[in-house]
Amino acid sequence: MRWTSSDMDMYMKEKEYVDTAVIPMLPVSFGSDMKQAASMAEFIALLTNQLERQFRGRLVLLPGYTYFKNDSEKSLEGVKNWERELGKDQFKHVFIVTADTEWKKHERNLSSSLIWLPSIPLEHMDENYKVSIIEDQVKQLMHLFIQKWRESE
Amino acid sequence: MSKHRVSRRQFLNYTLTGVGGFMAAGMLMPMVRFAVDPVLKASEGGDFIATKQRVDEITTEPQRVDFTFTQKDAWYESEVTNTAWVYRDDKGEIVALSPVCKHLGCVVSWGSDSANPDMFFCPCHYGLYTKDGVNVPGTPPLGPLDVFPYQERDGILYLGKAKPHKEA
Ligand code: FES
Repeated sequence: MRWTSSDMDMYMKEKEYVDTAVIPMLPVSFGSDMKQAASMAEFIALLTNQLERQFRGRLVLLPGYTYFKNDSEKSLEGVKNWERELGKDQFKHVFIVTADTEWKKHERNLSSSLIWLPSIPLEHMDENYKVSIIEDQVKQLMHLFIQKWRESE
Repeated sequence: MSKHRVSRRQFLNYTLTGVGGFMAAGMLMPMVRFAVDPVLKASEGGDFIATKQRVDEITTEPQRVDFTFTQKDAWYESEVTNTAWVYRDDKGEIVALSPVCKHLGCVVSWGSDSANPDMFFCPCHYGLYTKDGVNVPGTPPLGPLDVFPYQERDGILYLGKAKPHKEA
């Protein structure tokens, strides 16, 4: 499900079946790594969108977590806040999906599952190729999700 | 002077009605279009879309067939890729099933559950459907998978808009 009012209607009706929240991590930077940040955000947004289409009955795709790439301490606080908030509701699984290696360092401090994927620069890619690359990545991501779900049963 | 002389009051009345009418029309037209547009769109949706699947290559084993079309939302025009599971049934008839689970809308796939290799499986809450798309009782889905109407043109499979499964 997406963060839209109609999907939230569905969520409230079917709560017991929706046990997973997904937070796409969207870095912003105006420094020398501006383009890199944009490409990460683009990639992760695309990926999580496709993922939602596959698993929309079991997960809520939250609006992305936007943060300044050079301010990881503050961003970490923000993420922890999200985790606390989401833990209160019945989300048994919280997945953070990112292409930013910075988060790997903080993995220990997070209670949710951190999924890191190397961002693939899509800008010069031929349309068909792009689609198949994303599809591949989505498949891998799906496997990870299915695995985590199975583990917890 | 003459009876035809337009009084000040009448003049104002005429002009205001005229202008008001224009304004009302200006406001109403888009509203009418809003109301009518979805109707127009629905009739467009009846079209069949070409897949890349050759009809003579369809076997009795369900395979994934993708087809892409442009979808117009209120603000966005986007390329949407849809998937169908296509095979020939015992009578040799082509069957094209929608992969959207009838429970909460996840995407099902053929044989992805190792315990049920000849069923459609939904990974979200372990819904199962037999090959003809009928839901297996006792699993969460409450109805059978939708069916795409199809056409054959120049040996290529064309798919229409998914419809609810009839015989179930
Ligand atoms: S969405 Fe398919 S079983 Fe729940």
